[in-house]
Amino acid sequence: MAAVEVRDLRKRYGSFLALDGVSLTAQTGQLVTLLGPSGCGKSTTLRCLAGFLDPDGGSISIDGSDILGVPANRRGFGVVFQNYALFPHMTVAGNIGYGLKLQKRPKTEMAERIADAMRLVRLQGLEDRYPRQISGGQQQRVALARALVLRPRLLLLDEPLANLDARLRDEVRWLIRDVQQESGITAFYVTHDQSEAMAMSDMVAVMKEGRVAQFATPREIYQKPVERYVADFTGEANFLSCTRVAPVAGGYDIEVAGAHLRVAGVPGIRDRAELLLRPEALSIAPDTGQALFQGRVEKLAFLGASQHCEVRLPDGGALKLAVQANRPVGVGDQAGIRIDSEHAWLMPEVRQ
Amino acid sequence: MTRGARLRLLLALPAVALIFVFMVLPITNMVEMSFRTLGTTAPFGDSYTTGHYSRILSDGYYWQVLLRSLVTALLVTLLCLLVSYPIAWHMSKAHGFKAVMLYALIASPLMTGVLVRNFGWMIVTALNGPLNETLLGLGIIERPLRLLFTQGLVVLALVHVFVPFMVLPINNALRNIPPALVEASSSMGANRWQAFRDVILPLSFPGIYPGVILVFVLSIAAYVTPALLGGQMVSYMPTLIVAELNGTFRWPLGSALAIVLAVVTLICVAAFTLLTAKLMEKSRA
Ligand SMILES: Nc1ncnc2c1ncn2[C@@H]1O[C@H](COP(=O)(O)OP(=O)(O)OP(=O)(O)O)[C@@H](O)[C@H]1O
Ligand SMILES: [Mg+2]
Repeated sequence: MAAVEVRDLRKRYGSFLALDGVSLTAQTGQLVTLLGPSGCGKSTTLRCLAGFLDPDGGSISIDGSDILGVPANRRGFGVVFQNYALFPHMTVAGNIGYGLKLQKRPKTEMAERIADAMRLVRLQGLEDRYPRQISGGQQQRVALARALVLRPRLLLLDEPLANLDARLRDEVRWLIRDVQQESGITAFYVTHDQSEAMAMSDMVAVMKEGRVAQFATPREIYQKPVERYVADFTGEANFLSCTRVAPVAGGYDIEVAGAHLRVAGVPGIRDRAELLLRPEALSIAPDTGQALFQGRVEKLAFLGASQHCEVRLPDGGALKLAVQANRPVGVGDQAGIRIDSEHAWLMPEVRQ
Repeated sequence: MTRGARLRLLLALPAVALIFVFMVLPITNMVEMSFRTLGTTAPFGDSYTTGHYSRILSDGYYWQVLLRSLVTALLVTLLCLLVSYPIAWHMSKAHGFKAVMLYALIASPLMTGVLVRNFGWMIVTALNGPLNETLLGLGIIERPLRLLFTQGLVVLALVHVFVPFMVLPINNALRNIPPALVEASSSMGANRWQAFRDVILPLSFPGIYPGVILVFVLSIAAYVTPALLGGQMVSYMPTLIVAELNGTFRWPLGSALAIVLAVVTLICVAAFTLLTAKLMEKSRA
């Protein structure tokens, strides 16, 4: 169907460099997420893909052929916008059928395909409503149906859930993923919500100031980030500075907060390194013999399924960890912390 | 009555008083005048008649003038729309200093008084005026063009002065169309023309509508421009009305003509509103 390759994309707005060499690929049928904070260039990348924006450099090819010279209306991509961008003067059916009408499809085919698309996004019965007469979630589903009805080669979604409340967001998110997988469409999905990115994607590109900081599977992004920025953006994280680092076969021997450990990490670290410990890699040791670190519980919050706990280490560092809901801990307690070194990950330390 | 309601009434009072004194009273007076008989020593007589209306409606001359006024106003409106739309489009895309300059330029026809502006046209378009001299000098024409005192010049001058009334509301409406809508249509295969026809044009209707109404009403009621630039040969409703009121002093007849013009204008506006009600309702997002 459609394999996409974006190479070294550059875009300048006046003197501001919005894209500084973005490279990405998507295999046929994959959903690739662009994840990053506001202003990092996610929309700009997507708009270059859609053809709404001409990049200043780089290339975009689909199945091996360059598409940068092709105008947006000939690319045959489906686009879903953050604010839906439904035509307010057309009914739901009119919105969905607009592209088919431009293609001058026969009436019966049009009706059939509109009905199919509406069924796909579970919107039956709303054909004759105008966009302002339906809810936000329904509007977003119209936008999705409208993009899919033309059987696009590529589906581009720019924060499609940003304007929905939490429950609807979940519902529409799974709908998008289901539809995308069923139809086998290649898709690019922009979001700044890391849990959304993790849950939906085949591949995630974490973006930082107009560049791709890391492009990998959600698992790799979460467990093996290449730098602190990526780790920070993809979930709760603890970072501990290492006092000694020595490369060994398959990992590193390190000294951290007075303890010695053997961990895996980003290849090629020479001297300065920090250890990434996700909260779930840490637990409170039942007896101090098993503990790697000793510290004092500083904060505690009951979250229902678990407790969120912050422990201050003697050297000043702090660790956030999740503790079982019924474990008796209290603020001020001394606690021994155990780590699951399989879930620890060493990264080069960047001096701020 | 609650305090809030009383306050609201009090706030409405100045407006109501203004409309009553400057609109309801004069119109009532005019309607009454239009049913009076003609007088011999005064501008109007003492008794009442419907004769003026039947005379206007049965006399082909009045129909002809009314028709001319209507066609002229329609033409001015249409030309204004055609000229203004691209300007409004351009303006809606402008920002900062460029936008300010454009606003100033657009408003410039309104910055000169009506008499000065029309005398300007007279001087420019006179047989031995600068326009003819230049064209003759350049060898583009052999004989001076007769522009002054033609219907064409009246239309041109009216379009010139009414363009701002069309540009501003359309510019406003265009600015309110989210760019994403055009992008959405192009992602669905629409070329620039199709995007304009299917998205921009219908969604700019909330600006076209007031522009059309304003320009139509203003041009059908325009007096000074047709009087100065149209010459003695052709009459428009307003010039005819003024002639009856100030020239022949047949106030009842002049009033009846004015009422006829007002009613016809109102019918036109109502018809346009009704015909476009559905589009208006849909395009008001
Ligand atoms: N038309 C423009 N003119 C100038 N600068 C722009 C323009 N569009 C975007 N930018 C800048 O380019 C950068 C990238 O913008 P972009 O819209 O791609 O960000 P984003 O990652 O989508 O952010 P968000 O999550 O807020 O949507 C931003 O810093 C933005 O200010
Ligand atoms: Mg964005």
